[in-house]
Amino acid sequence: MKKNHGIAVLVGAGLLLASLNAVAHHSVAAEFDTNKKVTFTGTVKKIDWMNPHIYTHVEVKGADGKVIVYRVEGGPPNALYRQGIRPEQLPIGTVVTCTNCSRSKSETSMNVNGRMTLADGKAALGAPGGPGN
Amino acid sequence: MRIRWNSIVTVVAILAVFVLVQVMPAVQAPAGGQRGAGAAAPAPQAPTAGAAAPAQGGGGGRGGGRGGGGRGGAPAAPAGPTPRLPNGKPDLSGHWANPYTNNMAARGSVMDPTKKNADGTYAPLTWDRQGEALADAKGGAKTFDLPYTEWGRKKWADYDVVANGDYAGTCLPFGWSRNINSPHGTQLLQNNDALAFLFEQNTWHTWVPTNPDFKWPKDLPPTWNGTSVGRWDGDTLIIETTGFNGYTRLDTTGHPHSKDVKFISTFLRTDSNTITHTVTVHDPKAYTKDWMNVRTWRLKQPTDVLMEYSCEENNLGLDDGAIVKWKFPETVD
Repeated sequence: MKKNHGIAVLVGAGLLLASLNAVAHHSVAAEFDTNKKVTFTGTVKKIDWMNPHIYTHVEVKGADGKVIVYRVEGGPPNALYRQGIRPEQLPIGTVVTCTNCSRSKSETSMNVNGRMTLADGKAALGAPGGPGN
Repeated sequence: MRIRWNSIVTVVAILAVFVLVQVMPAVQAPAGGQRGAGAAAPAPQAPTAGAAAPAQGGGGGRGGGRGGGGRGGAPAAPAGPTPRLPNGKPDLSGHWANPYTNNMAARGSVMDPTKKNADGTYAPLTWDRQGEALADAKGGAKTFDLPYTEWGRKKWADYDVVANGDYAGTCLPFGWSRNINSPHGTQLLQNNDALAFLFEQNTWHTWVPTNPDFKWPKDLPPTWNGTSVGRWDGDTLIIETTGFNGYTRLDTTGHPHSKDVKFISTFLRTDSNTITHTVTVHDPKAYTKDWMNVRTWRLKQPTDVLMEYSCEENNLGLDDGAIVKWKFPETVD
């Protein structure tokens, strides 16, 4: 019974926070197709700690051996800094997972937006997107 | 019974999270949350004790705002008296968390500037067709969420950021309204004669003379931020801003204004830590009635400093075509 309550709380909170992220910044809708989802696990190759959004470059090796580099969009660096988040907290080579992240509307862009997590399930480098303007 | 109980718990959980999110502008996000939070991380802040001035929509409350001023939150020091300039007027100087307001028409945030209550709050504005759906809206569902004229209704219905882009996505100047609505905080510098707004958003600024002897040149060209003039009404600074180029929107959501809009902004520093800010939109071309947002600004703690922000340095979505590049309109009105 208690377990069910916990799941209900987490699902409710997750859905609500996801919806708030979607409306917080116009470029989420302007840049990403929320119906086009992708899930992947890979290693961090590079972090662009730059405005208006940080990008974490994640190298993913497919079953066919082909390497894809996704760019996971994060929040604005100033806002992340104020939350105590620093790029050094995600060393190059760290394994991260992006679950049900939205793909870019552009067919050729490898930008994605969504929650990126560490192996222990904790968020990597803060919330996705976030208010940029 | 189990299903019913679970449903109740779920609803309560959602409401709890909703309340938490609404309160977030007044609460500094905890440092860290990742492995090994940096030693230089800003210290967590306690929730503010609240200020004398009432807050109404338009900002950190129901008015669409959250994470105001980069979640600048409550100041570390207890509130003291309002600081004063040498001329005796309130000194608004400080680094402020102004509420992030991405939607100035959010439910409960549109006030009637002509109906001030005895307690200093304002009555909600009412208008024809309020809340009705816009059948011809492009770029998502829209309603008569403001008292549009036919000109304003069409501008609002036609706004489609996905199809046409937005000037802010192209890193062009956001303009007076969207600068004040932005989430990253504002540094104010003031003396007897003028007030300077240093917006962290894209490191933009605007300057407001408050000395009645100062006169702007009459033939200044129209601009993104407009031209502002300040005057005092007792302890309240009133700023009127006109002279816009017609390219800008009121907020991230895309609410329209004409190039002839006049913003009437008021700033009242009620104590050392708090400013009550109102903005009234006077734009007869776009709106049948004047309307107002009321917001509360909080002083940031000293460790929260104004930072550089360059929108252009890594706007990858624009570079690779994911964001449609906004084009200057052939005519502005």
